[in-house]
Amino acid sequence: MRNYSRFVVFPITFVMTFFITLMFATVVYAEKSQPLHPVTGTPMAPDFSLNDIDGKPHALQDYRGMVVIINFWATWCPPCRYELPSMERAYQRLKKQGIEMLAINVGEDADTIFTFTVDYPVTFPLLMDLDSKVIKDYPVVGLPTTYVVDSKGRLVYRAIGTREWDDAALMQKILDLKK
Amino acid sequence: MCFDYKAVTGLIFIGIGFLLPAYTPPAKGEVITGTDEEAQLPFWEWRNDVMSVRLVQRLPDQTRAFFTARGFTKSQAEVIAQGCIFQTVYKNIATPSKPGVIEYDLTQWKVLYQGDVRALKVKEAWQQEWEKAKVPQPAQIAFFWALIPTQQRFEPQDYNWGMTSYNLVPGEKFDLEMVWRQDGVKQSGAIRGIECAPDVELEPRNPFG
Repeated sequence: MRNYSRFVVFPITFVMTFFITLMFATVVYAEKSQPLHPVTGTPMAPDFSLNDIDGKPHALQDYRGMVVIINFWATWCPPCRYELPSMERAYQRLKKQGIEMLAINVGEDADTIFTFTVDYPVTFPLLMDLDSKVIKDYPVVGLPTTYVVDSKGRLVYRAIGTREWDDAALMQKILDLKK
Repeated sequence: MCFDYKAVTGLIFIGIGFLLPAYTPPAKGEVITGTDEEAQLPFWEWRNDVMSVRLVQRLPDQTRAFFTARGFTKSQAEVIAQGCIFQTVYKNIATPSKPGVIEYDLTQWKVLYQGDVRALKVKEAWQQEWEKAKVPQPAQIAFFWALIPTQQRFEPQDYNWGMTSYNLVPGEKFDLEMVWRQDGVKQSGAIRGIECAPDVELEPRNPFG
């Protein structure tokens, strides 16, 4: 009977513990995931041409053939501020794979945004939609909202509110668009 | 007296048929109140396992400061500050393992105040006033995006954070009746006894205290 416990009960306990841990880890991972939601009908991303805070023009057309992340934000918007550091970390990895990130500020001038970047340093272009014409062309009703545009110029994913942009699964979803 | 029971019964069923679609059963949820950790001000929150709506008091002084810094005149900022503004965080907290899509329209929500049924003052209503008053464009843009969207559709983990305006004076109490659709099914919930922030000045914090 003792031998029976040793050679049968222990392995069974080990296997059960392994699977329970695996199930728990899967649930926790699923609950903490950073979803990007598919855009119904994948419409073409409305084109725009906006200056960044250094006065350099950026047209979406210039990025055709690339996957582009377009984020709409404002300096006074707390969740927008919250996600900027993770956007920067993601950008550092994604730009090496040829993926671009454009953050379109809504309604604020270069001085305001420049001052803000002292506390929130980022290296991706910060574009200025001074009269909010570009944001109105997009299906956006609240800040922050982010779209992922595929290499054919279509809106494929959307996120409303913040995400941890350097989340591995989220970045992989974006990288998969290059395939 | 002679009743045509068939006709009466028929009328009752027709009446029920008309009334039933108008009735929205309350969704199961709980209301939590307390002090918001970030704002250090009272909050009221309705939540279940799919959705949460948190209203955090904004002191009129905070609202004055925010809008004057964005180009509103003192008197215009005063009008907003006196309008019972709450910082509102509306989230779809459904998880991938238990998904749900939330759609709402603030124009369908009801503010119950001293026996009256009122509506929220949504951003489009404010916008008309700002256009008439010829408020500078940058200020109008900031105002428009600072208020929570009037209509929105949230998929799991989506959320917005913005102001809501109740058109009541500081310090007043009201009940809020909310409606929304979860996966296309109309639902409702209520928060009772919400208090507009009083018009008080913040005490300066002692950095050494």
